[in-house]
Amino acid sequence: MTQYRKTELVLNKTFDPKESRHRIDGSTVVLHCHHYTALYTQLAMDCSMLDAKALMSECSEDCWQDYLSNYYKANGIVSLADRIAIGEQTYAAAGLGKMRVNSAGMDSGEVTLEHSHVDEGWIKKWGKHDKPINYITAGFIAGLFAAVFEKPVRSYTATEIQSIVSGAACSRFNIVAR
Amino acid sequence: MNIDRKQVISAMSRIEVQGNEEGLIPGFNVFVNMMPAHFWNSFAERLTRRVPADMLEAAEFLLVNAAHECGYHTGYGIITSNEWKAAVEPMIKEVPEDILHGAFAVFTAWGWAKSEIVELIPGEKMVVRAYDYYESDGVEYGASSKKSAYMIRGVSAAFMDLAYGGAYDPSGKTGLRTFKCEQTKGIECGDEYGEFVVTKA
Repeated sequence: MTQYRKTELVLNKTFDPKESRHRIDGSTVVLHCHHYTALYTQLAMDCSMLDAKALMSECSEDCWQDYLSNYYKANGIVSLADRIAIGEQTYAAAGLGKMRVNSAGMDSGEVTLEHSHVDEGWIKKWGKHDKPINYITAGFIAGLFAAVFEKPVRSYTATEIQSIVSGAACSRFNIVAR
Repeated sequence: MNIDRKQVISAMSRIEVQGNEEGLIPGFNVFVNMMPAHFWNSFAERLTRRVPADMLEAAEFLLVNAAHECGYHTGYGIITSNEWKAAVEPMIKEVPEDILHGAFAVFTAWGWAKSEIVELIPGEKMVVRAYDYYESDGVEYGASSKKSAYMIRGVSAAFMDLAYGGAYDPSGKTGLRTFKCEQTKGIECGDEYGEFVVTKA
């Protein structure tokens, strides 16, 4: 049965002048620019010694699964629709883009990006690219699904099948349980 | 030095950063993102610990380079922004030295590192100390033999590029990488503070 979105994200932002740290809900957050994101992504693509693209996705998945799970727990977010709404809003609040979870189940799902920091930043810096590059978002989505369905990390794989960086109007990800 | 660091940090730390309707944060001539520091730390740490020993220097160079380019372009966006003009520019009397001191106050205000310049030889050398920085968070117990503040290294060199490397070049072909930075101390290594020495490349 379809559930409708209703919950709004509330970010508890603080600045600790003693340590000079910005925190959201207790987690240290930092501002970085699209140059930094693009160059880290390029580094992951160029790294021949190990699969740094998968490593980048895993780091993103670990980070966001932990963040979202804590948020759901601290704020009593229990319904599927609310958890997904919080995930989409968290993605936007981080400046990563506009995400829509089109479908989500325990075993699979589909996600669309209407806007993407990684893709649009890459285009702004270097122009279009012929293959998907958004490993950070693939990890975010895997972490989101794990948090939503209360699974551990590495429970889902998110695969980018269409991307803004390659000229598509939106990016699309397929999600499948491992 | 004519910069009132406390005043700059107080003003610049209050700037509200949030996504627009497109989920993007355009500002300072770049797209900004606001991610948990844990993401950046874990990628850098896992990468540098997994590459073969003979490739560590290359991996570290690329991590520093990402911050170097970021610091150059975003740094320029910051020192030409309305926020800078309001909070920092009125204090600037000596150019570019006061701009450099102001830039590190902003660096502190935005949570990259609680840092300041402790030595500056104009056009030649700068020594920066960081008393708290997120890149040291990867070590929660004991002391690491590996220094991990790749971001501070890159951004410190970039700020010297902006100060003494000639006119800003949006393409990055000139002006960028006229300076380099070495980390000589690190909180993650058991030192009281991180120390960064910037010299001509």
